[in-house]
Amino acid sequence: MNNFTYTTAGSITAALQHTKRHPQAMYIAGGTNLLDLWKYNLLHPQTLVDLNGVPGYHTIEAKEGGGLQLGALVTNAATAYHPLIEQRYPLLSKAILAGASAQIRNMATNGGNLLQRTRCYYYYDGDVPCNKREPGTGCSAIKGYNRIHAILGASEHCIAVFPSDMCVALAALEAVVQITGQQGKRSIPFADFHRLPGNAPEKDNALQAGDIITSIDLPAKEFAHHYSYLKLRDRHSYAFALVSVATALELEGNEIKEARIALGGVAHKPWRIPEAEQLLQGKPATAESFAQAADKLLEGAQGYPHNQFKIELAKKAIIRNGLMALHPETQLPGAQPSA
Amino acid sequence: MRFFENQPAVTNAPEGRVEGVAKVTGSGKYAAEYHAGNMCYAVMAGSTIASGTIKSIHTTDARQVAGVLDIITHTRKPLVPGMADAAKIKESRFGLPVFHTDNIYFKGQPIALVIAETLEDATYAASLISAEYTTTEAKVDFDKAHAAVPLNAAGKERGSADAWRDAPYQSEAEYTIEHEVHNPMEMHATIAHWEGPDKLKLYDKNQGVNNVQRTFARLWNIPADNIEVFSEFVGGGFGSGLRVWPHCLAAIMAAKQVNRPVKLVLTRPQMFLLTGYRPKSWQKVRMGADAGGRFTGLLHQARHSTSVYESFNDGITRISRMVYNISNVKTEQATVPLNMSTPTWMRGPGDCSGAFAVECTVDELSYQLKQDPVALRLKNLAITHDPESGKPWSTHYLNECIEKGAALINWQQRKPLPGQDKEGDWAIGYGMATGMWNAGRGNASAGITMQRDGAITVKTAMTDIGTGTGTGIQNIAHEQTGIAKNKIKIELGNSHLPPAPSQGGSTGLSTISGAVAATCNALKQKLAGYAAAQDDTYKNAQAADIVLSDTGISWQTAGNHFIAYTSLFEKNNLTTVEVEASSGPGAERQQYAFCSSAAHFCRVKVHTKTGKVKIDKMVTVADGGSIVNEKAAANQISGAVVGGIGMALMEEQATDQRYGSLIGNDLAGYHFAVNADAPVIEVAFINKPDKNINPSGAKGLGEVGIIGCAAAIVNAIYHATGKRLRSLPVTPDKILLG
Ligand SMILES: Cc1cc2nc3c(=O)[nH]c(=O)nc-3n(C[C@H](O)[C@H](O)[C@H](O)COP(=O)(O)OP(=O)(O)OC[C@H]3O[C@@H](n4cnc5c(N)ncnc54)[C@H](O)[C@@H]3O)c2cc1C
Repeated sequence: MNNFTYTTAGSITAALQHTKRHPQAMYIAGGTNLLDLWKYNLLHPQTLVDLNGVPGYHTIEAKEGGGLQLGALVTNAATAYHPLIEQRYPLLSKAILAGASAQIRNMATNGGNLLQRTRCYYYYDGDVPCNKREPGTGCSAIKGYNRIHAILGASEHCIAVFPSDMCVALAALEAVVQITGQQGKRSIPFADFHRLPGNAPEKDNALQAGDIITSIDLPAKEFAHHYSYLKLRDRHSYAFALVSVATALELEGNEIKEARIALGGVAHKPWRIPEAEQLLQGKPATAESFAQAADKLLEGAQGYPHNQFKIELAKKAIIRNGLMALHPETQLPGAQPSA
Repeated sequence: MRFFENQPAVTNAPEGRVEGVAKVTGSGKYAAEYHAGNMCYAVMAGSTIASGTIKSIHTTDARQVAGVLDIITHTRKPLVPGMADAAKIKESRFGLPVFHTDNIYFKGQPIALVIAETLEDATYAASLISAEYTTTEAKVDFDKAHAAVPLNAAGKERGSADAWRDAPYQSEAEYTIEHEVHNPMEMHATIAHWEGPDKLKLYDKNQGVNNVQRTFARLWNIPADNIEVFSEFVGGGFGSGLRVWPHCLAAIMAAKQVNRPVKLVLTRPQMFLLTGYRPKSWQKVRMGADAGGRFTGLLHQARHSTSVYESFNDGITRISRMVYNISNVKTEQATVPLNMSTPTWMRGPGDCSGAFAVECTVDELSYQLKQDPVALRLKNLAITHDPESGKPWSTHYLNECIEKGAALINWQQRKPLPGQDKEGDWAIGYGMATGMWNAGRGNASAGITMQRDGAITVKTAMTDIGTGTGTGIQNIAHEQTGIAKNKIKIELGNSHLPPAPSQGGSTGLSTISGAVAATCNALKQKLAGYAAAQDDTYKNAQAADIVLSDTGISWQTAGNHFIAYTSLFEKNNLTTVEVEASSGPGAERQQYAFCSSAAHFCRVKVHTKTGKVKIDKMVTVADGGSIVNEKAAANQISGAVVGGIGMALMEEQATDQRYGSLIGNDLAGYHFAVNADAPVIEVAFINKPDKNINPSGAKGLGEVGIIGCAAAIVNAIYHATGKRLRSLPVTPDKILLG
């Protein structure tokens, strides 16, 4: 860990000025990801700009006409336990609580969660090639130990996955990311926020240098009645997903009016396929229907020697989670399979 | 929260540990928490290759970091007399000759040690160190390497392979277990302080202070008495503190080099690399039974990994020679050198790996034979004699453990065939297995200091690594002397206290109990000597004649010829009474064989669609002789069972086969069981004394809690699903694709 200058920003404008003056500057919010990477010598910020003192982004507010605005600096824990989230967007609450540990969620912020880096082992090992860490050096995972890696949307340059749980729910809920940058404000729909690795795996998302996430906006559609988050992992808690699924349904009787399905742990971004969701429209909410959607979502999936199992696991998880979404009240804690 | 619905009923909370308050209030210090005046900090930098030699090390950038005092490498270091040349290094048997070789044996091998004013300076400077190497091909792929290594006989063959070639019931299969890491909560750490040119003080995390003391007396060629080692509080060991590791020598070298006290604390990733691990293993077991279900033959072969710079042998097939009566037994082993650091003993070493393969094989035979696994085991147990030595077991109650465990888990509810019990998509299964461990005992000393108010302090160099040794000593001293527990203090974990062996191999309490009993007797004799001056009755008293209480001494029954301690102290002009005594095993070891044992039972739920495994209930019943302290003993077992759950379902330190690097080597990447993975663990004991082993009758419990545990779980998974999984850990993918 190198020596650095630490500064607190009192406003978004002040923060932006710092990063304009110091291109080597980095923002810090909860620090749960940044500090780890720094201590592993993967990042070397010369200036640290602390966003926590910036007023105005620490609350969750209802928006006129429906929807909520989640301040970027609200912690993951405060978000998950917020009455408005628990009651109106329970899918988001469940997904957040399936992630990390209570201690980490107390520190982690909503903005930071979107920007956490991959957990690819080779990204963390500074001694070996990694295109995400050092573009052009090669991908060590493709021919290495790739148990936790992507089966969808990967490229020959990178097969890392984006590890967030929260973002899987945000993708299903079609959240919108609000940003203020050197050129002013803009918003990005969640589907366009994270990107696939392609030939630039060093870029995880659509942010430009200096951009600050100010809030994450949830649209009016809440899916508060039929939803489920299923997280399959190597242990019961405090483990990243092998495969996770966020399912949100709007039903009329047993007929699906609208469906959202997003997968985590399988790609460089939360994985959604609109055609798969359309397939379900007007169909009965049965294992057979979810199986069809699963096949569509996994179309073109490619496994590697250590993660081939994820293709089958993802399909089964989608079916299981579809059925679980029908009866949220019977779900077991810990985002595990119920029934 | 359904997790917490099953509140265990707590009636009469059992008494706490002697060190409990010090631990929870933070007043008890772990090695890294000490401070020495003018102390500086050392951080190790590791090699980036797994095999080769160092051409050059670049330390220029690191030296420029403010606060850096010096940098030790193999070309710049203080003289360690015991490592002065290649022959001495070999003779030292220290393991990795850290900073004494340009050879690289594994990735991350320490190549430089930065010493700086602050931890931050040293950490940053260490990150700036680089080296050039001549790289040679690294061998890290155990699966590829092991088949080429010939097996050697492990123990004398019993009977012959021909005798059971045609056994009507046979199971033959291969089993593998991944590399596992101890990961005690407390990091290994050393503070080295040269108080004089040949006088050394060490605050160190380890399981045996006298072992550390002896090791460095040899390496530095100074009298052992000149070295004082403190390990008063140890935050877990699991075997990782039984050896003296390179970082400890590194800290001492650094302190010599800069002539100041130096603190060196391993980082968590270094904990995965530099303090040993359970080696990765391959096993093949063939077992036969006759039509009645009597085992007729067993062939057990095992290979496991070791390093290229020394050989560590885990003894995986030992368990095959002790549990069952089998006339024809052949066991073979080999170690497979890899470009990895050296493995070491990890809780239930050897037997734990061996029991997985053998107890799964027994389970498989039970289904072939259509006999209940409980009944099959009871029929075949070697319950009266040790099949290896032929000696009678001093005490051995594994049969009772099995019967009691079966009752506690409601074994009769188990359906005989696999895959019969379902709750939705959850398949329910029952499994069981046994574990055994040779119950050892070493030589140890203990001392007592008595104050005029009758308060005593019992002292020994033995460490308490969380096992409850101190609490056990207090209980034994109370029983032996009659002095109230709140008047008995315990001092341990210091090499200047009466010597004791390392805390390990489940021998700690067995070993120290003899010394404590002996020193209690010595106290009685000494007090009787003083009493004799006041009352002739006490002349030529034996310890057995003396009855002590909180306030004074009596003859044969309490109150008889009573003399108050205050009076004894006054008349004899005493400030304290000091005694010390030693004790160790004797002729009983010729006469008997000694063992501890356990039976593990598991009820498991397996989600057939997603491969998720939930352990519904674990029951472990152990025979550890007398239970000296129920709470500490139950802690030992439930902690070991949690380790067994990790072994069965998730623990796996993967290695990259090209770079030789450990993968996911931190507590987020390496999964061991968390609370949510552990069910209610029901622990019970047979609690019958072994009168021959030592004065306390306790046989040791540290290991048996994990030995056989993984097999019980995997057997339950088979019973639930019909899937026989032979590679640990059983992660969801193996269930799904199995
Ligand atoms: C051991 C461990 C286990 C974990 N397990 C899980 C898990 O199972 N599931 C899961 O989803 N997550 C998991 N996490 C990740 C955790 O959720 C993230 O670390 C956390 O959400 C990051 O938030 P933060 O506020 O701490 O970010 P920081 O570490 O402060 O920042 C992360 C990055 O975002 C940038 N940044 C932060 N805020 C802003 C902003 N407002 N605008 C612009 N840039 C910003 C920083 O510059 C930095 O680059 C785990 C983390 C750890 C350490």
